[in-house]
Amino acid sequence: MDRRTFLASTGLATSAALLSAPALSQGAAARTLRFVPQANLANFDPIWGTQYVVRNAAAAVWDTLYGINDELVPQPQMVEGETLSADSLTWNFRLRPGLLFHDGAPVLAKDVVASITRWMPRDPMGQMILAIQDELVAVDDRNFRWKLKRPYPKLKYALGKSATPCCFIMPERIAATGNTTMITEYVGSGPMVFKRDEWVPGARSVFEKFARYVPREGTASWMAGPKRILVDRLEWVVMPDPATAAAALQNGEVDWWENPISDLVPLLRRNRNIAVDIADPLGNIGSFRMNHLHAPFNNKKVRQAVMTALSQEDYMRALVGDDTALWSVLGGYFTPGTSSYTEAGGEALKAKNIARGRQMLAESGYANEPVICLVAQDQPITKAQGDVTADLLRRLGMNVDFVATDWGTVGQRRAMRNPPAQGGWSMFHTWHAGADTVNPAAYNALRANGEGAWFGWPNVPSVEAGVTEWFDAPNDGAEKLALDKINREAVDNVVYAPTGFFKSYQAWRRNVTGIQKGPLPFFWGVAKS
Amino acid sequence: MFAYVVRRVLATIPVMGLVALFVFSLLYLAPGDPAAVIAGDQATPQDVERIRASLGLDRSYLVRFGEWFFRILQGDLGLSIFTNLPVTTMIAQRIEPTLSLMILTLILAISIAVPMGVIAAWKQGTLIDRAVMGFAVLGFSVPVFVVGYVLAYIFALELDWLPVQGYTPFARGFFPWLQNLILPSIALGGVYIALIARITRATMLEVLQQDYIRTARAKGANQSSILFVHALKNAAVPIVTVIGIGIALLIGGAVVTESVFAIPGLGRLTVDAILRRDYPVIQGVVLLFSFVYVLVNLAIDLAYTLFDPRIRY
Repeated sequence: MDRRTFLASTGLATSAALLSAPALSQGAAARTLRFVPQANLANFDPIWGTQYVVRNAAAAVWDTLYGINDELVPQPQMVEGETLSADSLTWNFRLRPGLLFHDGAPVLAKDVVASITRWMPRDPMGQMILAIQDELVAVDDRNFRWKLKRPYPKLKYALGKSATPCCFIMPERIAATGNTTMITEYVGSGPMVFKRDEWVPGARSVFEKFARYVPREGTASWMAGPKRILVDRLEWVVMPDPATAAAALQNGEVDWWENPISDLVPLLRRNRNIAVDIADPLGNIGSFRMNHLHAPFNNKKVRQAVMTALSQEDYMRALVGDDTALWSVLGGYFTPGTSSYTEAGGEALKAKNIARGRQMLAESGYANEPVICLVAQDQPITKAQGDVTADLLRRLGMNVDFVATDWGTVGQRRAMRNPPAQGGWSMFHTWHAGADTVNPAAYNALRANGEGAWFGWPNVPSVEAGVTEWFDAPNDGAEKLALDKINREAVDNVVYAPTGFFKSYQAWRRNVTGIQKGPLPFFWGVAKS
Repeated sequence: MFAYVVRRVLATIPVMGLVALFVFSLLYLAPGDPAAVIAGDQATPQDVERIRASLGLDRSYLVRFGEWFFRILQGDLGLSIFTNLPVTTMIAQRIEPTLSLMILTLILAISIAVPMGVIAAWKQGTLIDRAVMGFAVLGFSVPVFVVGYVLAYIFALELDWLPVQGYTPFARGFFPWLQNLILPSIALGGVYIALIARITRATMLEVLQQDYIRTARAKGANQSSILFVHALKNAAVPIVTVIGIGIALLIGGAVVTESVFAIPGLGRLTVDAILRRDYPVIQGVVLLFSFVYVLVNLAIDLAYTLFDPRIRY
């Protein structure tokens, strides 16, 4: 072979290899939606673990009996209808015809009963229902009956809420797994099939349209209505680095990014192929929790002094920046913009009076006890809040022991009830999704039932009384009164300190349509051209 | 020689045992609780306790170490706390991208750095020498992630020649595989090229002063033969040593590179596992890395005999 022949044959071989390289056709690319989720889908049991990312993926794979719409009203989803006895104790539910699991088996009432049974002990509302449950039985294939010992007006809300854990319906054999054991089989009842064989935890999760799913009629709204999947395939691509995710979105390598950081939003907005909008109108509430068990925050007056001094504006500017469309100052504990939001008794939340705070601290009897302030540095939200709090407490004249650590350690240490000097803690920072804080139903952070309360273990019977009144409220007026009471008592006793209300953005390529604003990414109704 | 290899392979067993003990103890003593991470931020203390118990994390050190070590002896690395998948499966899912990245980086680095170092030594004191050394200083000084971002900006966003992120398995074709790995390999290779180029230059300078080089010149050998046959072969032992040591650099650098370029490799798996305190995965990956490193050291020791016939085992 001479040199020319060699070069020619090598060139031909190279071209052939290049041409043979597989590439997605335009049509195939349009049928695949590539999504960058907020976090890695590390496990896929939405009852065993309660991370939001698991719930978000699970909502595409498993359907619910009811689903809340964008007005937070539960609508029938897998249920065709229900009846309630005159004494409000017996509910009879009938399933829609044609419901199928992904393995082709019909969804039966016994599957529903098993799913509810697994969900109840794991959910705050479920636990309340379980405590008053008389019986839960499958009457036949499509009907089941739920008898209670006393009325529970918010039963449909409990079955359709978006707060974790949601009551997802699984086959009986899977739901029979104890709720302390992770399920290993992912046979869904929803509009998308989870491709377990393509799941690379930490990198990629793949879902395919379930062709035999029967959507409801009407208009989709959050968890309610027809869940019509308009793409063939959904790929979740985990990107730990926000700059890489931004570049991939600009380059068209991904289509939708769930939570771009605010620093990168101006860059994305400059790209005419990218749309940026608020992700969730229900937003989030920033917070720090003080330990009610030990000094100094077992003293209500110390807690009040801190809350009086804090400026939510400082927190929000540190956390979100100067884009005031994204944040606001709170006068209450419930989600702003919803019917449950109240500022009753909430003046102290907006006081931001450092001089008054110092005076109150002096009057409280604070004896310079160290404040062990846990701050997870690997979570931008907690880090920003922690820096502001440390500065606030020092300006107040408190003895701050700033513990810079990671989220895994905060998660462990905050569960310890020991005094701060013996490995315990005084305060930590976190945030709550607005969908969870919309009312007391899933609002763990606001509960004040001592030993049974969330970390910090506040014990305020008047708050608990308000919660009970809300659950028992027969109408909107009574609910409103209960919410006012909860807010007033929670502020007065500083169950926790809200640091402001903030929203975040989502971004997507403009060839993607149908994206809803909501507490989680809804993949139904989303199309890609 | 064969006996030596067998002895060295057998010697890895106690080394790996010590590594296992060290890794397990370190993780046991480290703060953090996987149960708290699994349960999520909104979980109640009861949820966390329930998960701890279900994972067996409430048992004593000795019981947990004993169980784990016994499984290791059977080749079972256990199940991931978070995914419930076997650790071996998770490693198998991630090993190809990391191996690909490291091999390509190694090829790239050696094929660039060795000639650079040789030429710099040959042209000592000239502009070429200074340029090579300047590049080496730059390679050492600029962090991998900065190089990564700059490369992605130029070649992916501005020129649209290469993808920003991701990995295409080799089975789907050589070119798609290569496309995804070019930028990460260059980014990761920077430090490695600098290291090898510097050591090559330094060693070559020493060798080029030797009498046998003068003899080779006197007998009329051409320059490339002197540099690459006579000198480089004799300078090879320290260069090979540094290449071996640099494998550890590559493993560390892969963690950052895989994050910047969203490559689903072992580096990212390690970081994710550490942040979540996924003990079985951390233990499995560290054991694997240690084993690879031990094998690389063995391979280097054996390679010495190829370059220097005086070395015998």
